[in-house]
Amino acid sequence: MRLSMAGNTAAAWGFRLSRVQCYPYYPITPSTTCSEQIAAWVGNGDMDGVVINVESEHSAASAVIAAAKSVRAATATSSKGLLYMVEVLENGSGSSLPFTIFVGNRATGAPINIWGDNQDAYAVRDSGLIQIFAANAQEALDAVIQSYRIGEDLTVRQPVLVNLRGFTGTHTYEPVDVPSAADVDSFLPSYLPLEPLFSPDQPVTYNAMLAAYYYRRHKRNQTAALRNASCVTENVGRQFGEKFGRSYGKFDWIGDADADLVVALVGESFGAAETIVSHLQGRKGVGKIAVLRVRLFNPFPAQEIATRIYKANTKAVVVLDEGLPHGDVFPPLALRMAAALQAHLGTQTPRLASVIGGLGGSDIRPDHFQTLFNLAANIADGRPYRREPYWLDIDEDPILLTDEKKVDQKLWKRYGDVWKAQPILDAYHKPLPSTNYEVRIYGRAGQGAITSAVFFTGAGVEQNLWVVTKPTFGSERRGAVVHTDTLIEQGASNKTRAFTARQDLVCIYDDTILTSPTHAPTRDLKPDGTVLVNSSRYSPARIRQLLGLGPKASVFIVPASRIAHELQLGSFFNMVMLGAMHCVCPLVDFGAAMTYYEKNAPRPKEANLEAIRRGYQETTDKELPAVELPAVDARAEEYFRWRPEEESLEEEMLRSLETLRG
Amino acid sequence: MDHGEHNGNGKQQSWRIPTVNRHKDFAVSGHMVFPRDKTANSECVVAPRKEPPSAAKRLVGKDGKLLGFPVFHDNRTVEEYEGLMPAPEILTLVEVARREIEGLDYAAVMNQLADLGPDGRLLLYKRDGKLLRYELFEDPRICKDIPRGAVIHNLEQKPADVSGWRVHEFVIDPKGCLGEVCTRCSRVCPENAIHLRGVGADSFCEIDPTACKGCFICWVECARKAADCILIDGKVFDSELRAAHFGE
Repeated sequence: MRLSMAGNTAAAWGFRLSRVQCYPYYPITPSTTCSEQIAAWVGNGDMDGVVINVESEHSAASAVIAAAKSVRAATATSSKGLLYMVEVLENGSGSSLPFTIFVGNRATGAPINIWGDNQDAYAVRDSGLIQIFAANAQEALDAVIQSYRIGEDLTVRQPVLVNLRGFTGTHTYEPVDVPSAADVDSFLPSYLPLEPLFSPDQPVTYNAMLAAYYYRRHKRNQTAALRNASCVTENVGRQFGEKFGRSYGKFDWIGDADADLVVALVGESFGAAETIVSHLQGRKGVGKIAVLRVRLFNPFPAQEIATRIYKANTKAVVVLDEGLPHGDVFPPLALRMAAALQAHLGTQTPRLASVIGGLGGSDIRPDHFQTLFNLAANIADGRPYRREPYWLDIDEDPILLTDEKKVDQKLWKRYGDVWKAQPILDAYHKPLPSTNYEVRIYGRAGQGAITSAVFFTGAGVEQNLWVVTKPTFGSERRGAVVHTDTLIEQGASNKTRAFTARQDLVCIYDDTILTSPTHAPTRDLKPDGTVLVNSSRYSPARIRQLLGLGPKASVFIVPASRIAHELQLGSFFNMVMLGAMHCVCPLVDFGAAMTYYEKNAPRPKEANLEAIRRGYQETTDKELPAVELPAVDARAEEYFRWRPEEESLEEEMLRSLETLRG
Repeated sequence: MDHGEHNGNGKQQSWRIPTVNRHKDFAVSGHMVFPRDKTANSECVVAPRKEPPSAAKRLVGKDGKLLGFPVFHDNRTVEEYEGLMPAPEILTLVEVARREIEGLDYAAVMNQLADLGPDGRLLLYKRDGKLLRYELFEDPRICKDIPRGAVIHNLEQKPADVSGWRVHEFVIDPKGCLGEVCTRCSRVCPENAIHLRGVGADSFCEIDPTACKGCFICWVECARKAADCILIDGKVFDSELRAAHFGE
């Protein structure tokens, strides 16, 4: 069953199919919708389990540990929530209790930042948990199911963290294959409690005090059990592949088998890296390249990675970390990579550079990996490079020198020679061709732009297209300008998640955005792209003029607000715009999409379906006939002109008397 | 035992509820729950429930509302549990040798088990009595004296001698002790160190010197305050001293 869903919902499906029996949670952005989905399923009887609304993440972790002594348990959290759990988490790993925590990775602040980076997962890397980094919603679902097989294996019995980057992973709507319950049931046996609580015949004490002699012996056992998780993850990933057709290992190696240049990373940015590897691979002037994507971050598969790199005879490794070193030599992933290579390869160790990027929701785009491979090529050439981390997207501290004037003077004194010795290799910077159909919707927060994009995605996925929607969530309040991106893959099915940020279609939900000086909505529109505007006052010609569009671009308008008003939908015109999008986007069949909407349209259903149909019919590239404005309401006008502070006492008394009379 | 599992119509009206208990499971009959011994292969199989355990459905009033809010039913039901693979059976080498298990490669399994030594276990994953797959389990512990997760089995792992924990010697004077009519000290002792000896008028309580940790609880709780039948370091303490000691 292929459905369109966000990463959070995919993780919730993972818990549901794993038949989680106890789910205590405390909501925190960006993992909230996972817990909400579970609570909804348990509430309406779709899932047989217990949801506990606790008062903090600390209690959620305590409850999940207590539950895991007897039943299969889970929770989800993010950022500070995970940090608040840290104190309790070691009770789970120390007591050898398997349970799974889904983490929507998010920056940890201060300052407050709700967007994605890996700092929270890095902060708990020393808590003895198994950590798996998923790269997309599908992997999150699969990793949750596998996490119970791994964690509950009798040679392991340790808690598991399943990580997915916040928003770009947890809130991106994409096609996900949901396995059938029967298949998962035959893959994942029911929970085997080893030392259950409340077993009167065999009472047990957890977390008793142990003095040094016993403590160190217990910790020796715990460490051995965590180590076993490495080989168990490999086996479970392989068995999962045999059953469901999607195999997983401890790490992925994408690109040339004998790559000289390797970029190592964890998590969601793998999608962009994969795209750039297939784009650059085999080009003239480009060396042999590969991406090493670490899936099992803890326990770190040091020996396997070192062996793989030794076999490939790699010359240079660049490690991308979405987290900070906080005074250490490198950030955590680079540190582990460096230690693994040094410990296992000794003098054969390739040169290694560390790069920090993607902090607090910063983009990691395909072109960033072009820079990283260029850096790796320079390092492999024997050019001087930095022993402390590089940074992505800092103009004062660039990786490759483009503009000397922008560079910080202090850094120039230290690294000037290094920068001068690092050439920009053009072969690595060939622009990525935009082969997919990309849609960008501009709207104001609260107008339902994301909802219509999600419906559009759902309809596309139902037609077996590869459609991905990546909404942008900001700190904006209701009414601010927001945008959301949708990608429809054309041609070969590569299942890409990489946006090139060059649009074929731009939908503008509010014609006031056209004249806004701070937004240039059609800046990244392809020359032959399409613009669709909700407007009843501007003609297509006027819009073309306002936006400064070229002759090849086409402009369509739809009076969506007026149609919604006529259908008594108030200001909810997003369904009209959805119909209009189908009119200008030929890739998703409208007739088949309507059957999807008939099943899933929000209430009021009939009015919304009619809105979609009318939006489809009334989209035009012609000027609309002028409409009569509604008659002016004299009473209302008077009310709007009323200024209480300018009113004299006499007038106020007269008005009160009028009010009394009615 | 037959626990009224038949109602007036002669139809069987009991079902099992899922339990984590390793030794017992629970039969429900009417409003009564009866524990009974678990059978070997029935662990953790949950009886399919026809009615979903939906709080929303149970709490909805006659007007179709829950706390004044409308409730929508989408007529979906909980996925059936029949396909759920039960938790594995865990067998030692000796047990494997004694059992006839269909579909098991005995020679290979026995060899591997022998390699693993006495800690080796065979895990059998079965459904409907058929073997789906098996795994061999090797104890991951390096220090075998510590249980997994440092869990303490309260009945098995009692310290042998805690006499080193106490500062004073506690002895009950059999002449002053009320014996079986009282036994207050043996009931309040947190270490279960006080046992009744003898029968009838000759009975008295006795402190096990290896199990007593010297906590003073029996001394405070003793019913015979005036007689002070519990001697500390061979001395009789009077009630005033006791009051001073505990600030009563």
